Amino acid sequence: MGNEALYQQRAERIEKAVRCEPVDLIPTLFMGQAFAPRWMGMTTAQYCTDPEGACAATLGTLERLGDVDGVNLWSVGYHTINLSTLWLSKVLMPGKDLPDDALWQVVERETMTLDDYDAIAADGWQPFLESFLPKVLDMEMFQAHMGWLVNEYPHQLGKFQAAGYVPVVGGITTIPFEVLCGGRSMNSFFMDLYRDPARVKAALDAMVPAMIENAVAACALSGIPRAWLGGWRSASAMLAPKLWDEFVWPYYYDISMALIDKGITPVLHWDQDWTRDLARLKELPPRTCILNPDGMTDIRKAKELLDGHMAIMGDLPAAILSAGTPDDVHAYIEALVRDVGPTGLILCPGCDGPIDSKPENFEAFVAASREFGRVS
Amino acid sequence: MQDKISESLASLEREATVAAVTEALAAGTEPAAVLAACQDGMVQVGEKFSEGEYFISDLMLAADIFKEASTQLDIGITGGAAAKGGAVVIGTVQGDIHNIGKDIVVSMLRAATYDVTDLGVDVPPERFVEAIKDTGAKVVGFSGLLTISFDSMKRAVAALNHAGLRDSVKVMVGGGPTDAAVCEYVGADGCGRDATDAIKLCKSWMEA
Repeated sequence: MGNEALYQQRAERIEKAVRCEPVDLIPTLFMGQAFAPRWMGMTTAQYCTDPEGACAATLGTLERLGDVDGVNLWSVGYHTINLSTLWLSKVLMPGKDLPDDALWQVVERETMTLDDYDAIAADGWQPFLESFLPKVLDMEMFQAHMGWLVNEYPHQLGKFQAAGYVPVVGGITTIPFEVLCGGRSMNSFFMDLYRDPARVKAALDAMVPAMIENAVAACALSGIPRAWLGGWRSASAMLAPKLWDEFVWPYYYDISMALIDKGITPVLHWDQDWTRDLARLKELPPRTCILNPDGMTDIRKAKELLDGHMAIMGDLPAAILSAGTPDDVHAYIEALVRDVGPTGLILCPGCDGPIDSKPENFEAFVAASREFGRVS
Repeated sequence: MQDKISESLASLEREATVAAVTEALAAGTEPAAVLAACQDGMVQVGEKFSEGEYFISDLMLAADIFKEASTQLDIGITGGAAAKGGAVVIGTVQGDIHNIGKDIVVSMLRAATYDVTDLGVDVPPERFVEAIKDTGAKVVGFSGLLTISFDSMKRAVAALNHAGLRDSVKVMVGGGPTDAAVCEYVGADGCGRDATDAIKLCKSWMEA
């Protein structure tokens, strides 16, 4: 089978899984943003400053792994710029702040003030962002990043498609909570939610339109009708229910609905434990989203609650890829397919395969996924 | 009076807790007794967390209220008579700069009367060794959010061995991806999913 036919087959397989329809083979995706360069002999410093090289390392990893259907999120553009804008925080860069092959890390520091909430509410998100970003990132690199997205991103996507691999997400966004939590730092932001909820909420509300528009624009640019809608500190395990109900869920709901309305499938990439609130996902229209937990959410509970309503993508834990063995990987995938498959399941590393994943564990992930994931 | 302090703290009522502490001190209650009441409130918070009634944000709020209430007391919240639980050294291991989970554990351990030496983040193995020697701690906690912290934890355990401290110090590990398999991989004695697990481990080891 040629690559074009292979691409079509894989894309259709993923779409069927999203619609919770029967598949011949449970789709299997790669995700390992820091693992890919290390496995391909590229430093993380290069990976963060050479967007074409980062794409080549990712595509090379897919080809080396062989029989996977595609890739979940990977580094698009200048990686640390993406992280800085999602977290509204400075990111320590390999080759600059860290050794050449170290892992980038987000700096937990209070860069936003309380008054910034008022500025966002009064002036809107985009004007605030333009004045704020120089505090947390290199604006020259930011401009290069934006230019790369417009001029080079579609071309790079074409290389994945030509090789037969499906890039699953075309745009990246999150809810306003995550961005401001990064900018204020977690402890201060959580205390703000208790002390000054109306002030925070006014800022969150003002941010929503821009966060939807950015994801829609990226999907249009890429031609991929799926958007990564991430969450990490807004997880159920992190927040009292009354906070989650007020500051988290309404924003996931509204952003998801806006994306769905534009024909875009939200990929709810949810790190940490969201088990408590999984039932809320039934409020979203059936077969329009993908839940992508990281191994901490009870994925079996998700299956029980969402079977036939929402596809589940996951969730081989990072610790198994890093410190486990191929036998551990096989056992995990076998149980996952048995308990959560075969329909509405997409096999993928939970969150992101870490930098120190053992290559033999990634190879075992692909082999086990194909062995246990065969339906017909 | 002390009941009012512990109950209001356990209910996460900031103003009521601070007012009750002020009232108790004005009435001549010993600061150590007031602190004990605050600590009792924090123990109740920990229990509610373990039972699934409270979540991380509640722990952070409780720690914040505890800190505010404690500022009225003319005694430290660690060390001296207030620290009855024993010495503990804790830090995020080398190569990892994440502090939030570690900070929550530190707050809860201090509230549970442990004398905690917090070494911060990106802590090299030799600093753990020095701190254990300086404080005589019987428990050390290694925190890490990233999987690259596993090997740092392993090196820190090796440093304890090399310094001849391993047999006299219990090692607990915690942070996002850590679990029983990671605990075994790094050569630790116990693994905690959250701050209440850390307190349970310390209690079981120090009271044994």
